[in-house]
Amino acid sequence: MHATTNNHSGRVRTFLETAGQTVFLIGVWWICDAATKAVGLPVPGGVIGMLALLAALATGRLKASRLTLGAKGLLNHMLLFFVPAVITLRDHAELLSPLGLKLLAVIVAGIVSVMIGTALIVELSMHLRSRHVR
Amino acid sequence: MFASSTPLFWLAATLAAYVLSRIAHHYLRAWWTSPLLLTCVLCLGLTVVLHTGYREYMRGGQWLLLLLGPATVAFAVPIYEHRALIRRHWPTLAVGVGFGCLLAFGGSWLLSGLLGLPAGMRLSVLPRSITTPFAMDFARQVGGAPDLAAVCVIATGVLGASLGGMLLKVLPLRSALARGAMLGMGAHGAGVARALEEGEEEGAIAGLVMILAGVTCALLGPAISLFNSIAAV
Repeated sequence: MHATTNNHSGRVRTFLETAGQTVFLIGVWWICDAATKAVGLPVPGGVIGMLALLAALATGRLKASRLTLGAKGLLNHMLLFFVPAVITLRDHAELLSPLGLKLLAVIVAGIVSVMIGTALIVELSMHLRSRHVR
Repeated sequence: MFASSTPLFWLAATLAAYVLSRIAHHYLRAWWTSPLLLTCVLCLGLTVVLHTGYREYMRGGQWLLLLLGPATVAFAVPIYEHRALIRRHWPTLAVGVGFGCLLAFGGSWLLSGLLGLPAGMRLSVLPRSITTPFAMDFARQVGGAPDLAAVCVIATGVLGASLGGMLLKVLPLRSALARGAMLGMGAHGAGVARALEEGEEEGAIAGLVMILAGVTCALLGPAISLFNSIAAV
């Protein structure tokens, strides 16, 4: 419908909606972060914000469809947000040494054990459940 | 004096590196063009060339890091959208995430102890299987270094996505649930992207497992810091 005439205004609207929803999510985090700090809760503000938003969605106070653009935008570009943390390597010259190699060994061995363990226990659980249920 | 000494320069440079990496990955699709890896390498390279330290970089970079908080909040939306999947498979998901977290935290702790890593590094490598915002919060709470934790998390993502692809060929996994859980638990965000290449259901499960592991970690962090403060008294 009106694909050619409304294409441009549709894009502008999508952009504005995404921006508005993102600002809303930033606002939720801002308020929850300030509140947890004021109360002195040992849980990060983002986690409290997530639980609050989940409660609002589950009780129907908020519609998920009105937040999907902003939420997907933030989550799709999440890797950009932690690039600054990696620059810390500039201050960790000690990792260019046997120590860094040991850290790498811990990470690789960890990945393999976590992946094999998780995959096999889930496969086993599915197998057992399908036998009991049906 | 130089453009590179203003905070805005490093914010713009990071954004530019990210856009470039995404374009490169769109056309080349090689493992080394993974935006996760390439953006980090480009930014690190630029700080070396321009002799910029971490603190100076962060005057601009901190604004991006701050957005991890709202990103954590945003996880509520996909969790809510997958509520039917959670309801149907919650016992399997709980067993997978529980056992996966036990292996991830226990394995990192034992291995790093065995190889004699210093205490601060041991605490920072602990949450390496967890998605970054949760992992950094965890490291902060148990007394590790959040930045070093992020480095371990990203290394896990980059290596895990390719190791996971190899394991898929070797392991006899019949259910999409097992394939998705393996990638989401082992390589968080990068694993989710890899799982989506296997199929829609694998991707959804991987995303869900990643989020549930993050939430588990978010509950574990305050518990450990509480235990530590009680033990100190």
